[in-house]
This record gives sequence, structure tokens and C-alpha cells, in this order.
Amino acid sequence: MDTAKRTARLWLREQTKRGQRAARPAIALGLAGAAAAVVQAWCAAGALDAAIAGAAAPLGLLAGFAVLALLRTVLGLLAEQAAFRAGAAARRRLRTDALHRLLAAGPALLRGRHSGELASIVVDRIEALDGLFARYIPAAMLAVIAPALIVAVLLWFDGVAALILMGTGLLVPVAMALSGLGAAAASRSQFAALARLQARFLDRVRGIATIVMLGRAADEAVALGRAAEELRHRTMRVLRMAFLSSAALDLAAALALVVLALRAFAHGAAPGIALFELLLVPEFFAPLRVFAGAYQDRMQAVGASGPLAEMPPAPEPAPPLEIRTVEARGVSVAFETVNFTWDPARGPALNSLSFRVPAGETLVLAGPSGAGKSTVLEILLGFVHPDSGRVTLNGADIVTLVPAALSRLTAWIGQRPVLFAGTIRDNIRFARPEASDDEVAEAARFARVDGFAAGMQRGLDTQVGEGGFGLSGGQVQRVAIARAFLKNAPLLLLDEPTAHLDPVTEAEVLESLKRLTVGRTVILASHSAAAHAFGGRRLDLRDGTAAAPARGVA
Amino acid sequence: MTDLLRILALWRGRTFWLAFGILISLAALACGAAMMALSGSMVAGVVTGAALAAPFALRVLGPARVVLRYLERLATHDATFRALADLRVWFFRGIATSSAGGLGFRRAGDVLARLVTDVEALDGIYLRILIPLAGAVLLLPVLAITIGQIDPLAAVAVLLLFAASAFGLPLLSARAAAGLGGRLSTTGSALRVACLDALHGLREVRAFSAEGRMLANVQACESNLLAAQHELSRRGAIAAAGAFLCAQVGILVVLLAAGAHPAQAALLVLLAVAAFEAVSGLPRAGVTAGQAAGAARRVLEAAEHGPAVPDPAPGAPLPKGSALRFEGVAFAWAADRAKVFDGLTIDIPQGARVALLGPSGAGKSTLAALALKVVAPQAGRVLLGGADIATLPAAEVRSRIGWLSQATHLFDDTIRGNLLLAKPDADDAALWAVLEAAQLGGVVRTLPDGLDTWIGEAGARLSGGQGRRLALARALLSTAPVLIFDEPCAGLDAETERAFLATLNEVAEGRTVVLIAHRLTGVERLDRIFRLSAGRAVAAAG
Repeated sequence: MDTAKRTARLWLREQTKRGQRAARPAIALGLAGAAAAVVQAWCAAGALDAAIAGAAAPLGLLAGFAVLALLRTVLGLLAEQAAFRAGAAARRRLRTDALHRLLAAGPALLRGRHSGELASIVVDRIEALDGLFARYIPAAMLAVIAPALIVAVLLWFDGVAALILMGTGLLVPVAMALSGLGAAAASRSQFAALARLQARFLDRVRGIATIVMLGRAADEAVALGRAAEELRHRTMRVLRMAFLSSAALDLAAALALVVLALRAFAHGAAPGIALFELLLVPEFFAPLRVFAGAYQDRMQAVGASGPLAEMPPAPEPAPPLEIRTVEARGVSVAFETVNFTWDPARGPALNSLSFRVPAGETLVLAGPSGAGKSTVLEILLGFVHPDSGRVTLNGADIVTLVPAALSRLTAWIGQRPVLFAGTIRDNIRFARPEASDDEVAEAARFARVDGFAAGMQRGLDTQVGEGGFGLSGGQVQRVAIARAFLKNAPLLLLDEPTAHLDPVTEAEVLESLKRLTVGRTVILASHSAAAHAFGGRRLDLRDGTAAAPARGVA
Repeated sequence: MTDLLRILALWRGRTFWLAFGILISLAALACGAAMMALSGSMVAGVVTGAALAAPFALRVLGPARVVLRYLERLATHDATFRALADLRVWFFRGIATSSAGGLGFRRAGDVLARLVTDVEALDGIYLRILIPLAGAVLLLPVLAITIGQIDPLAAVAVLLLFAASAFGLPLLSARAAAGLGGRLSTTGSALRVACLDALHGLREVRAFSAEGRMLANVQACESNLLAAQHELSRRGAIAAAGAFLCAQVGILVVLLAAGAHPAQAALLVLLAVAAFEAVSGLPRAGVTAGQAAGAARRVLEAAEHGPAVPDPAPGAPLPKGSALRFEGVAFAWAADRAKVFDGLTIDIPQGARVALLGPSGAGKSTLAALALKVVAPQAGRVLLGGADIATLPAAEVRSRIGWLSQATHLFDDTIRGNLLLAKPDADDAALWAVLEAAQLGGVVRTLPDGLDTWIGEAGARLSGGQGRRLALARALLSTAPVLIFDEPCAGLDAETERAFLATLNEVAEGRTVVLIAHRLTGVERLDRIFRLSAGRAVAAAG
């Protein structure tokens, strides 16, 4: 737990450092704005001074005020755009990096984690970091340098006033440290409390059907109200202390104004300088207020950083010399005493497994679930590498093949093929993006996709996948068969392709699959009786090893 | 904007607290403006008449402002917490009765999650929109009176600029944000879908070496989202810049006018500075309001939809028996969608163990929805113990029928908390009995916290099979005489599925069991099997 927190902290520190470089334009523009504000305050004070003396307003100063007003407006606009760009660039960089790592880590990831959870890291967690880069980092820098600039300028006019301003300014961090809570604690407790309530609320809303069906909606509504009320009591107790630190900022600002005013009043100082000082007070404290407001953004970033810090490692670029491909006309497969373990606690998945499949032949892997059928296919797909032993395709060790070359050799149909958001046509073309329309249509015909698509209003252009038309299990398998046909790879890997189909659909899908096997090397994993009528040799697996010598099936 | 007002109306009961927060915040604001104006007058050396009173007043105003600001923060946050509690309870009650309950039934978890985000967007209305707006409303007459007494012409100009900055520009930015709301949400969900596709389809992506294509697709979607966000940020920045410029011109006007009023010059300028600064955040509040307006519309739509199947005014008494019968039922989810059932008739006698089989898309889950009164048939009747369920209150029907499906939710709570949902007054012995029956007792006993083990979000700390067994234990804890298992093993691997179905054979002795599935594994113990096809049920041989 602690190491996880430390990793997250280190990661955030590293990101903050990068963010500081990216935030330079925003910081420079903010500083220029502060400088313009100082000069403008000087113009205003001068004009006022003249007015108090009953003189005509000096046009030069007023013109200066107007020009600086325009300049500050433009600088403000530019600073905001620069901040947005810094946030956008950081999100773009982090998202590409995260997705790159996840894609490189590959399908093995899905054994332990849910794709929805991973997607929410890539989308939501990274969105939540925007405030850190766009607001917090520039604000944190400006909270130090902008007040320093104002004090430096004021030193030149009135040393004592500058010291008063600096003293009250320093009061802010000192008071925060003394109160022992600080603005940090205020934001943190409020943020954490709200996050907890929100999580509970989301959980209950997601489970609304379960609650309604159990007849507990009224009770749960009351419980929700009670939880929120409790939360209010607890949070307000913390906030009563925590807001003291915000009060420190108010106190410092009020103190600066009152002390400067009283001092000028008592000494009968020149109104021009004194007014200049008063006008600088809000400018001096403005960056500190912005910083206090942006603290929330940092809290959000801390909350989001945990899972991002624990991404799988970035892939090493493939060594360019090791590119191996194999002759693509007919592929023979051999397993030589292969061992593989997913989880040491559950024993080996493959235990010294050896078998050969000559080019163009079919091997049916039989055996109960957990016997290692899927593991054999996942090794052949390159999702995982054997712990020991060799797997060869046409004699070449699979480990030496670059993923793209391996992918060219294999077509694969799993238990539940994934349809992507897009049309049925897009989903078939996924197998080979450069395929022509005719080739896609031929694949659809081969897999009898056109049959069920004809019944839909838009045919092959029907939207499927997330937010689209729901296809039945058998229809999805047909799309997968069309993909495999379009890809036209010499090695066909079938992982329980009919496990989730009803018997009638299973027979139909098997018939299409059988036509697909002609002229290819096929490995079919299945414990369905119907699939065993598929023909070819049969290998019974038990606990990751061949149970009996491979034998032919009538 | 009317939607926002309707949300505000929900908080009627909190009027006192909300108004109290606003009052304190106004007092703090007035104190600040007075402090600025007074100190300006003092340094200008124009308060000689009240030489002693002025410093004293300033010494009082300073601390008063600090204290008032502190109280303001407490009062407004307290009021916000009260308001957000009300909002959540109201929303929860709303979707529990409205068809969104049906949404949950149809596994639309993401739709619900998005609505929750919308509710969250409404939390800031009071603190970030209402409070600063109230401040602007207060300052307007203050400026009118103070400046108007000294220089009416300048007052008119300043008031116009102030109104533009405090009301006009925020309204414009609210409109702009509301207009962009649609684009932001479509580009946002496109990015989510692209990421989900790439990750959910990791196997396909690797098998077809589509990594580059998927990454490019996500990047393209991201660029669209960033462009929409950039547009929003640009409009917000322009509104803020406009407000800033208004403030600057206002101060310039006062500076120009000041020459004619030497005595009040400093007061005028510093009051203007303080007033404009107080409303400088409003254009940004306008952006928040624009976004909240869209959220308010969606939240109101979902929560005030009303029930899909209204309860009969005087509910008929609940019949003694619990035989279930579908009689010539016809149903389509929408008028323009194909009929799921057309003349469906099934008899499920009390205490029978029945399987309903059919390919996906044959409407198997719809059957459970009909029995549980989530939806009502367009023709035909559903009978429970001989009584048409249309004449029975939904809550009564549901008390007779237990339901377990893939959409059955496990709550981020303890094992005990999850079980008690079915029967709040059950004692530990009863809980252990159902855990044993679901063959989860052994596992729970080995956990250090036993029944008080926290199971994580959606039961994340349990394995898939254990989660389903916990849901089974909960279904068994309820005394419902009919149990509907709707694809109870969806998403489980074959071995876990068979083990779960074997457990199912041993439990629920004496209750009616309806198993809805796309196929049988061979381990199920059943009395009757029906096949669903073409909207009807056909008896099939066991």
C-alpha cells in the first residue's frame, strides 16, 4: 500500500516537473499581466492624485491606463489559451503513452483486469489531470513570482510599504503552517468526503434495479439521505478548522490594506504614492487566491495518479535485426516440452506439452476447462510466451517472430469475438484494412453474414458494437468467420468458437467453419461434442499435458 | 434555464439555510467594498472632518470582513451539503419509480453513471452561480446610489458596464456553453468508445496486429474532444476578457469623472475597483450555468419520467398461490421495433423447475421484465396465482418473485450488507444458512472479517463465481416463492458455470425455479423445458 503511494507520489512529481516546463508560456504571460497591472495602478494613482488636487486629469496617464487595460485583456486571453494548450498537450502525451503501454502489454492484461476499468483510466483519470497542468502548476509558480515582482517594484517607491506587503504576504504560508491544516487540509477533506458520497451514490444508482426488485427503494433513499447528513456533520467539523487557513489569507489582505491606509493617514503621505500602494494590495493577493482555488485541481490529480503510476512498462522498441518471417504457404506447428504457468498458486497450465501439426492438417484439442486448451492458442497467438520449451512455426521459434509477422500467419476466432463500434462492413474489413469492397462482400457471402444482414434496414452498413445494433451470438461468430476468411492466413486458431451458442446455431456455425478450414492448418480447442465431429486428429489434454497419444477421429 | 430553476425549486425546504448563506456573503462583500472605499478616502486626505472616526471604522471593518468571510464559507458550504443531499435523495426516488428502473434492468449501467455525473454538475449551482449573482444584484443599487449622488452621468455609464459584465456576458457565455454541450458529450463518448474498443478487443487487436490503427483512432477521437474543449475554453476566455474590459472602461470613466469631484475622487475609484472585482468571476459562472442547464434537463427527464407500468389505484389482494402463467402475451420494447413476443403462452406451476431456452435476441430477459412488472404486455396477461399482475401493486408482485441476472448488482458494502438488502431483519444464523446453501460459507469463514468483509466495487474483491454465489445467497434469503434466474452464469467460464448450476439444483427446495438460458449444460435438474422461438414458447423434451 505504502509503496503504491510512493510510486504515485514519485510519478506525480515527475509529471509536475514536466508540467512546469510546458507551463512556461502561461507563466510568462501571467507575469507580464502582473507587471502591466503594476504600471496601470501607477497610472491610476497618478490620475487620481491630480483629481484630488483639483487639477485636470493628465491625459498621458489616462491614455497609458487605457492602453494597459487593452494590453492586460490581450495578455489574459493569451495566458488562458496557453494554459489550455499546456493541459491539452499533457493529456495527449499521457493518453498516447498509457494506451501504447496497454496495447503492448496485450491480451494477458484482460485476465486480471476489466477492460472498462482500463478504459476509464485512459479516459477519465487522464481528463482529471487537466487541472494540474492547465491551472495548478502555473498558479503555483505565479503565486510566488508575481507577488515578489510587486514587492520589488514597491521597494523602489516606498521601502516600508513594500516590507508591510511582504510581511502580510508571508503571513499566509506561516498561518497555514501554524494552523497545522492549511488550505490543503480543507480541500483534501472536502474532496475526499464528496468523493465518498459520490461513490456510494453511483453504486446505489447502478444497482437501482436490484434495489427496486427487492422492494428496498424507500429504505435506501432514507439511508442515502442519512449518509449525506452524517457526511455534512463530519465534514463541517473539519471545515470549521480548515477554513481558518483561508481566513488567514483574508486576514493578511485586510491587514495589508488597513495598515497601509492608517500609515499613510497618520503620516499624511503624498496621496499619489499611498493610492498606488492601496491599488497594489488586490493585485498582490490575487495570485495567492488563484493558487488557493487551484489546490482542488492538485487534489484531483493526486486522486487520479495511482493507477496511472502503475501502468505496465513501456515496450522496448523491437530490435530491427531480428525480423524473422516464415514461408507463408502452409504452416506446420510444433510444441516441444512446453511449460507455462499463469499463476503459481494454481499450478502449471501447460506441463511439458509436446505435439506436432503438419501443414494443412487439423488438430482438435479436447479436454475439460482448465486443461490448457486456451493457453496453447494464446501462446500461438503470441499473447504470452512459454516459460520453457519451444514452440515453432515451420521450424522457426515463435519467440523470434516479430508480432506483425506472427499476426500475418494466423487467423483466430475466439469464444466471444469483439465487435467494434462501426458498421458490419467495417468490422469485417478490420481483418485487412486494405481489402477492396468486393473482397469484403465475398467474405460476407462466404460466412453467410449477408444472409442476416439482408434482413436489416441498412444491410452491411448497419451500425454494430457499442451504441449500435445488438447482434446475436451466432451472428457475431459469422462476422468473425468473415474476418478470418478475409485475412486468408495459413494457420487458423479456433478457441471454443461455439461455446456460447445454442445447438441449432452451433451446427450452422460449425458448417461455415468447416469450409474455412480447407487448405489451412487448423487448431480447434473445444469440449463440445459437435465440434469433435469436425474431423482431423484429436489430442486430449488433462492438466496441461497430453492425456493419451494423439489419435485419429473417424 | 427553466430546468435550472426547477432544480432550485427542489431546494425549497432549505430556503432558510440558502438565504442565510447569501446574506452573510452579501455582508462580507459590503464590508470589503466599504473597506476599500474608506481607505481610499483616508489616504486621499479628504476625511479630515472625521479624523478620528475613520481609522476606527477601518479597524472595525478589517476584522469584520475576515470574520464574515469565514462565516460565509461555513454557511454556504453547509447549505451546499444540505442541498446536494436533497438532490441525490430526490433523484434516487425518481429513478426508482421511473422507467430508469427498467434501464438498470437492461444493464444500462453507463447511462446511469452518466446521469450521476450530471447530478454532480448541479452541486455547484448555489456556491458558484447563485452566490456571486446575489452579490452583483446587491452591488448594482449600491453603485447607483453612491456614484449617482456624485456624478449621475458617470453613474449611468458605470452601471451599464457593470450590468454587462455581471449579467450580459455571463448570459452569453452560458448560451455558448449550453450550445457546445452536445458537441462535448458526443466527442467525449466517442473517445470513450474508441478506448473501450481498443482495450475490450485487445485479443482481436493483437491477433490482427491492429495496434497502430487503434491508437490512431483514439488519437483522432481525442483531437475532436480537445477541439470542442478548446472552443469552450476560448468562448469562456473571451467572455472573461470582455468582463475585464468592461471593468477597466468603468474605472477609466470614473477616473475621467473624478477630476470634477476632488473630495470624492478616491472613494469613487476604489469603490469601482472593488465592485468590478467582486463580479469578475461571473462570466465563468455563466459557463458553469450553461453546462449545468444541460445536466439539469437530463436529470429532470430521467427522474420525472414516471413509472412505465403504473400501479392499479386500489390493488387487488395478493393471491395465495404463486403459479406463473403467461397468456397470449404480445410485447415490443418500442412501437417501431420488432415484437419480442406474439401470442406467448407458458404455464409454470407452483414449485416447478422450468428452463426457458432461446438464442440471444429471442427476448428471454424480456420475460423476466414482464413477470416483475418492469414492463407491461401490449396484449395478453401475466397471471400470478391466478390473478392478473396488472391488478396487483408492483411491490407486492416483486415480493413474490426473486430475481438473479447478470445485471444483479453487488454493492460496494460488506457481505452482510449485501445480504441484508433482501431481508433487513435476518439474523446471522439465517445469513450463514443461505451462504452455506449457495456453497459460499466455507470461503466466507476463511476471510478474516467473515460476514463483515468489504467486497469492493461491484464485488471486485470476489471472483466471478463467488460474486454470483453471493447474489444467489441473497436471492435465497428473500422468502419469494418464485425465483427467476436470467442467464445466471453469463460471463463465467464453463467450469464455474457447471459448478454454479450444480449448486442451483440443491437449493430452493419447494420454490418455483425459472432458469432462463441460451442452452443447457446437462447438469441442471429440471421438470420442464421450453424453447422460445418466433415470439412463442414450444415445449421441448428434457
